[in-house]
Amino acid sequence: MAGKWLKISVLIMAFAFILTGCSDESGGEAGTNSDQTEITLGFYSSGSADEKMNELIQKFEEEHPDIKVKTQNAPYQQFFQKLDTQIAGGTAPDVWLSDGVFVQKYAERGAAKDLTEWINEDLEKDEYYGLDFNKDSDGKYWGVPQGIQIGALFYNKDMFDQAGVEYPDESWTWEDLKEAGAKLTIDTDGMKADDASFKPDSVKQYGLTFFNITEGWMPVMKSYGGGVLGEDLRNSIIDSEENKEAINYIVDGMERGIFTDPSDLQAFQSPMSPFPSETAAMRIGIYARTLAANETGVNYDVTVLPKGPDGERFSPTIANSWVISESASDEKAKAAWEWVKYWVQEDEVQKEWAALGEAVPVKKSVANSELFLESGDKPANKQAFLDSFEHAGTLDVNAVWSEWVKKFGDNINRAFLNETSVEEALENADEEVQKVLDEFYENQ
Amino acid sequence: MSDNLKPKNEFPDQQGGNKQKKSRLTLAKQKKPKPPKKKWLTNEGKWGLFMISPYLIQFIVFIAFTLIASLYFSFSRYDMLNAPQWIGLDNYDKLINDPVFWKSLWNTIYFTVLFVPTQTILALILATALNQSLKGLKLYRMAHFIPVISSWTVVLYVADAIFNPRFGLANDLLLKLGMEPQQWLNDENLVIPVLVAVAVWKGIGYMMIIFLAGLQNVPEDLYEAADIEGAGVLQKFRHVTVPLISGTTFLVLVLSTITTFQAFEQIYVMTGNSGDITAAGGPNNASMVLMLYLFQQGFAFLKMGYASAIAWVLFLILFAITLVQVKLQNKWVHYEK
Repeated sequence: MAGKWLKISVLIMAFAFILTGCSDESGGEAGTNSDQTEITLGFYSSGSADEKMNELIQKFEEEHPDIKVKTQNAPYQQFFQKLDTQIAGGTAPDVWLSDGVFVQKYAERGAAKDLTEWINEDLEKDEYYGLDFNKDSDGKYWGVPQGIQIGALFYNKDMFDQAGVEYPDESWTWEDLKEAGAKLTIDTDGMKADDASFKPDSVKQYGLTFFNITEGWMPVMKSYGGGVLGEDLRNSIIDSEENKEAINYIVDGMERGIFTDPSDLQAFQSPMSPFPSETAAMRIGIYARTLAANETGVNYDVTVLPKGPDGERFSPTIANSWVISESASDEKAKAAWEWVKYWVQEDEVQKEWAALGEAVPVKKSVANSELFLESGDKPANKQAFLDSFEHAGTLDVNAVWSEWVKKFGDNINRAFLNETSVEEALENADEEVQKVLDEFYENQ
Repeated sequence: MSDNLKPKNEFPDQQGGNKQKKSRLTLAKQKKPKPPKKKWLTNEGKWGLFMISPYLIQFIVFIAFTLIASLYFSFSRYDMLNAPQWIGLDNYDKLINDPVFWKSLWNTIYFTVLFVPTQTILALILATALNQSLKGLKLYRMAHFIPVISSWTVVLYVADAIFNPRFGLANDLLLKLGMEPQQWLNDENLVIPVLVAVAVWKGIGYMMIIFLAGLQNVPEDLYEAADIEGAGVLQKFRHVTVPLISGTTFLVLVLSTITTFQAFEQIYVMTGNSGDITAAGGPNNASMVLMLYLFQQGFAFLKMGYASAIAWVLFLILFAITLVQVKLQNKWVHYEK
């Protein structure tokens, strides 16, 4: 008797277990018509953007009655952690939104679908910003931009007015920036960076806030003619004269208290806060930084980033992109592609998304329209973001991007904090980054 | 037939030589239909298994299976996105030559060596102090327990208000005392002591409660006897309290050693800028501990094989330490018979 009961209960338990454990798969199919393709769409989310995304998905479903979209979303960190596990378990969304810096991570590990053919067939490449940022060194495309982040120079007009310094413009070099920055840097006694009694250890207001990669060393190094990885993205070019010059420029700015150094930044609850909280007069910022600045009501504007000593300019760019899963069935991949096309081609979608103000629209016609250029109150010079595309470049993104960034950052931060010489930091970084690259690509 | 044989079985001693032989044979035969003892599970056993089956299933699926899987991964190259490739001892080989691994092992040990005795001693003192009959005692106990139930994120904000190099109270105090302000969490030499201080503050309430439970089990008459012998407060503490709560102390020691080896959340939250796992563990890896390194290698850099190898080394170290603690307990832990 008990044996029978045991068997029954085990069965029930197992069934319950399957139900709860696998509800993701089994739940959706039931409600789908046989002629409908159901795709899962994953995206990382934040408050208001979430709502808009769901709205757009609904419209998409109305226009494509044969496609049903199921969504999966989570805050940024969790989304990507979960995504990796899902890919490992073969349950990845059919199409997902990837941070631009991770596209190659998925592409080179075979988790993303090669979209080259489809893009060639269906998209007019000249109509979009940032398509090429998902192209690998073999010319294959792995994603289609969802929104573009591009760097520009943010400056606080009130602080410039107060210091009697002229606003920055396209003619600025990094040296000009430092010079102006010195006049905008004030210590707790009210002394400026050029004053003899200035105390660089107790700065109240910085000239420029400087934050790690995109909004820190990368644009400076590249506009000085240096960089981190060579063109094939498999070799370090860190140990160069150009980089030495660029890093020396930064270290000098930090030593003089004009730029925030990594430990200054630690003191703020968020390393992003010095500019919107008016503790820094300038920042290198991607487009999304306008959100925080607008929220706090800072009186600011933007211009293109300064030039290097040889007149070279570099605007760091991240193209957050739609990626289609390699493991999606043909049918689902095609349906996912419909979504991607809908996203980039439809003016309506582009406009709605642009209105959120978190990214530069992918479609050039929309980005160059009043809708983007005149939207919101600040910054007035949104054109600067579009002008920056002329000097746009990636962050040397490859499959092991996060790992080499960590190695590079660890070493370079020691130079920023004066714990080692610039030469030594670059030498070490060069060696360690190369090791990371070799380890990965040797096994590919 | 079985009915006939039954009485013989019951009184085998009374049988003659021949018959005894026969009965042994029949006995062997008979065991088959006699179920309860031979079955691998009794009814009660089955019910028992059934009752614990949720836990059992959980254990098999989420612990036993993952343990075996991680052991396998530790011998392979595994990026989560592709099938694991067997590479033998390569991961362990790399581990031995990885300076960051050694640094994080050292940091972990350093953290533990600072943390465990500090927390244990302070918790014991606190528990003794709160084991009195005072007015408002519950309030004091509760006050010490609040950090325990607060999340690390909340604790981080409190800690930041104190140790922020720019706006923190600690530097204000140092300045008032005429001393140099410190970088605290940004200082390679200070980061672990500061983390330990915060961890002790957060964890002490829990250990205090365990100690309190131990203290309340010390029979009152022993103290009375000690009073009669003329023992002072310190002597009573030394000769009555300490030996009688040694079992509790042992528990506290083992528990806190294990938790420090698993320290992750705190360091992740307190040293990683806005939850960035690749930023955590700084400055210059001075607060990189094994769990953090494991997580970073596995989840940020997709080196699950390598991360699994770290996990197994961590397990072996913890296992060895706990074993030593258990062995040593015979020397000093006193259990009441």
